[in-house]
Amino acid sequence: MRPLARLASLGALVVLAALPWVLARHQLSILTDLLIFGLFALSLDLIVGYTGMVSFGHAAYFGLGAYGSALLLIHWGPPVPVALIAGAVLAGLIAAPVGWFSTRATGIYFAMLTLAFAQLLYTVAYKWRDLTGGSDGIAGVPKTTLFWGGPSLATPTAFYFLVVACVVLSLLACRALVRSPFGRALQAIRENERRFASLGQDPRPFKVVVFVIAAFFAGLAGALFAPFRGFASPEVMFWVLSGQALMMVITGGIGTLVGPVIGAMVFILIQEVLSSYTEHWMIFAGAVFVLMVIFLPGGLVGTARRLIEARG
Amino acid sequence: MSAALLVEQVLNALALSGLLFLVSIGLTLVFGILRVVNFAHGVFYMIGAYLGFTAVALSGQFWLALVLVPPAVGLVGAALEASSLRFIYRRPPSYQLLLTFGVALILEETLKVLYGPTAKNVEPPALLQGSVEMLGVIYPRYRLFLVVLSFAVGVALWLFLQRTRAGLVVRAVAQNSEMADCLGADVARVRTLVFGAACALAGLGGAAAAPITTAYLGMGIGVIVEAFVVVVIGGLGSVVGSMVGSLIVGSAQTWGSYYVSEAAMVIMYAVMGAILIFRPWGLFGEEE
Amino acid sequence: MQRRRDFLKVGVISGVGAALAMPAFARRAYAKEPIKIGLPTVLSGGNAQYGIQARRACELYGKEINAKGGVLGRPLEFIYEDTGADPATAVRKAQKLVEKDGVKFLTGTVLSSEALAVSAKCPEWKVILMSTINGAGSLTAKAYNRYFFRINTSGPMGARVVSLYLAEAPLKHFFALGSDYAWGRDGVTTFEKQITAAKKDVVGKDFPPVGTKDFASYISKIKQARAEACYLVMPGQDATIFIKQAAQFGLTRETKLVMEIVELENMKAVGEAMAGTIGSSRYPFTVDTPKNRDFVKRFHAMHGVYPDMFDGETYEGLEWLTQVITKVGTADDVEKVIEAWEDSSYEGLEGPFFMRKCDHQAVQPGFMVEAAKDPNYPHLIPKILATYPGDRVTPKCRTEDFA
Repeated sequence: MRPLARLASLGALVVLAALPWVLARHQLSILTDLLIFGLFALSLDLIVGYTGMVSFGHAAYFGLGAYGSALLLIHWGPPVPVALIAGAVLAGLIAAPVGWFSTRATGIYFAMLTLAFAQLLYTVAYKWRDLTGGSDGIAGVPKTTLFWGGPSLATPTAFYFLVVACVVLSLLACRALVRSPFGRALQAIRENERRFASLGQDPRPFKVVVFVIAAFFAGLAGALFAPFRGFASPEVMFWVLSGQALMMVITGGIGTLVGPVIGAMVFILIQEVLSSYTEHWMIFAGAVFVLMVIFLPGGLVGTARRLIEARG
Repeated sequence: MSAALLVEQVLNALALSGLLFLVSIGLTLVFGILRVVNFAHGVFYMIGAYLGFTAVALSGQFWLALVLVPPAVGLVGAALEASSLRFIYRRPPSYQLLLTFGVALILEETLKVLYGPTAKNVEPPALLQGSVEMLGVIYPRYRLFLVVLSFAVGVALWLFLQRTRAGLVVRAVAQNSEMADCLGADVARVRTLVFGAACALAGLGGAAAAPITTAYLGMGIGVIVEAFVVVVIGGLGSVVGSMVGSLIVGSAQTWGSYYVSEAAMVIMYAVMGAILIFRPWGLFGEEE
Repeated sequence: MQRRRDFLKVGVISGVGAALAMPAFARRAYAKEPIKIGLPTVLSGGNAQYGIQARRACELYGKEINAKGGVLGRPLEFIYEDTGADPATAVRKAQKLVEKDGVKFLTGTVLSSEALAVSAKCPEWKVILMSTINGAGSLTAKAYNRYFFRINTSGPMGARVVSLYLAEAPLKHFFALGSDYAWGRDGVTTFEKQITAAKKDVVGKDFPPVGTKDFASYISKIKQARAEACYLVMPGQDATIFIKQAAQFGLTRETKLVMEIVELENMKAVGEAMAGTIGSSRYPFTVDTPKNRDFVKRFHAMHGVYPDMFDGETYEGLEWLTQVITKVGTADDVEKVIEAWEDSSYEGLEGPFFMRKCDHQAVQPGFMVEAAKDPNYPHLIPKILATYPGDRVTPKCRTEDFA
């Protein structure tokens, strides 16, 4: 990285680190929430932005991460990072067979298969009351400690830093991934899958692997969500959340990694801010999204980049 | 199980399938012909139900509602397509998703402003009220009507697409829009009409469903996933596929609810998963 | 390129911070600091009728109490948030109410699952959740914590009322239908226990998902089971649709409908087909006490409709809470309010209430009603068939079982 770029990244980190002392308590809560969903959107960008696969069922992995971490924390109370890994791994494990089956198809059929499997998982979560609490969900998920015998994560500031650490590390990991040969192969698949296949490589294993990796990071986001909100329910696996995740990615900018993080924040903030002004905020939120799609095709980050390029 | 119950359950499955067909046929047309993901399809279904309520409340005539509501909803849909959707056809489906989601938000909230947040009761017309004694079973007349209506719509649509000139043009645009354009078809107009027609069909579904389910906010979300499942099982763009898919999903749900009600929801997805694993493009769809 | 993108990132984050702070500046300044009551309730979707009832009660009570100078000289302020009947959203909105708006009293949670989720966080937030709607027995049993108070008749209490009444009725074979979530499940379990103790039986039970729109197969099942009566534990919208469809299938001709809650909103939505349905009512507006008659008149004057169950229960909750606050002398010390509320009494619209210390369940009379036609009203009304004293219908402490 160039020195100026490095300085700017450092600047961003410093701002993030300083915010807990600047923001009010509830604002910090909202920011933590935004970051968690930012991570979720980021994970989706791996499949949508870099590999060109549109998934309508990504929320399922967020949900699996949430349930995995919730159950672990409620029944055994290990340090939170253990629950995070458990949730993410659970999501990745389930994503493997789903990805394998779904990639038998492409385009809209692939999307529908991912939706079908996600809804299947949602239904299991809804009906398996003994394990998941059914439609009531799991309440009272505790925030435990950073490591065994370590500091408690029960304060908003402590948990916020955990979330920031996870998001930053994930961002770096994903960035490294997309710049690697594997990442370049993904983008080749996105550009023209048939040509990729004609070069002698089977695109399917690549697609399955990136599907699992994306699920892993979505699961990580979900695993952070459960102790943060203290709650896990089937709704976090519902297809509406999958659709919203896609919208967050588009809002921020497909294929930019950092764009979806910002997109998630903007998407949620628009609804938060508008809803505190008017009861009928949905009309304005809807209008904003419609206008954004028509006039900002690259999403926020994409369009900003284009503007800067045009001027510079 | 007694014979009477068997008859009742079969009729239940048919009625549910009929309703699903009305909702999903528009979705499959839009998917198959326009390649558009219309997140707002469920909202048009809901608009149809509410407009149906208003029509019945104003005129007292349910038949009038059935005739007037679909074109009205169709107009709204066509307006949407002409004003915003047509600019993003070439974009990936995620963009259409965001646009139609935004539209869905606006429309749903507008309905809430106009009608209030509680459900609206719609009475079926006098002719269709009450029950009929047939084959040893007491069955609501209105549900029988639904079966007949959806079947009629399905047949009419199939005839239109396969046997008329206009239908030929629509199918041509679906297969290869550039070629159709070269051959003189007004592609943009066809697209607008098809989208409008799909919304009209959804509106018809809503108006027809309202006497059973009442018109309520959020009814779009409930029905849209089932419609997606039907469309995927049947194959995008296929009217026959939509009919068969509706029957499969309707039956799976009806019998599933009866026998394994705990797992009833799962059965529908399991069936869809199974079909897609062997035929990823649906039963009557075309391999891409 | 990279640098610009990162500057953008910093810029957006700062902008985010500013946007978050904005609504705070839009607040009005009060002469005296108001007492805030937060309602993470349902204002949209199939269960919106409950949020509306909570709001109506708040509007009426707020207007009346503020006209008299407020509570301890401070005006009462209500802040409403829409949770869309989703427990995760309920927690989020409740958190916002607590952290941003600084409320210490939450109420208006609609679904029991929402209440369970919010209640679990109350010890952490140190705020009181006052339930005026939620029925699930577990809220004052397995999931009890001292920051939760239940004003309303609970689900098990409703089931108890119904069972006591039915013990003397000729009906013997029941089918139980409960929505698949906390309240529906708890309700059916309690009913089954109570009714079998009364030497009757449950010939079948089923749990349709919340939001089911087609009950045809369930209706077939009930017919097949040859049930004389069907016990229903379903929230507003679902119950309305079920009753309408049951009528269409002729089920209501052969099978008596018994509901855990008989709501005015259902009666209005379903219409005549519901006449003859019996069940328990948390608060029937037809209770004939002077206090209630006056309340109904004032309510009707303000809102143009007659109060439904949760209009009444919420009004009672607000009145009782403010009485306790007035007695304690402060609205800011939650621990003191909790202590004062425990083992206190209150004269409600329906009769005498007592707040049990052991599980924070308000002991109150139970009502068995019938949806009946009445020429004085434009719709069916809840006609009271029997009234049971509080100690007969309230379960043993922290359980869902009865003596």
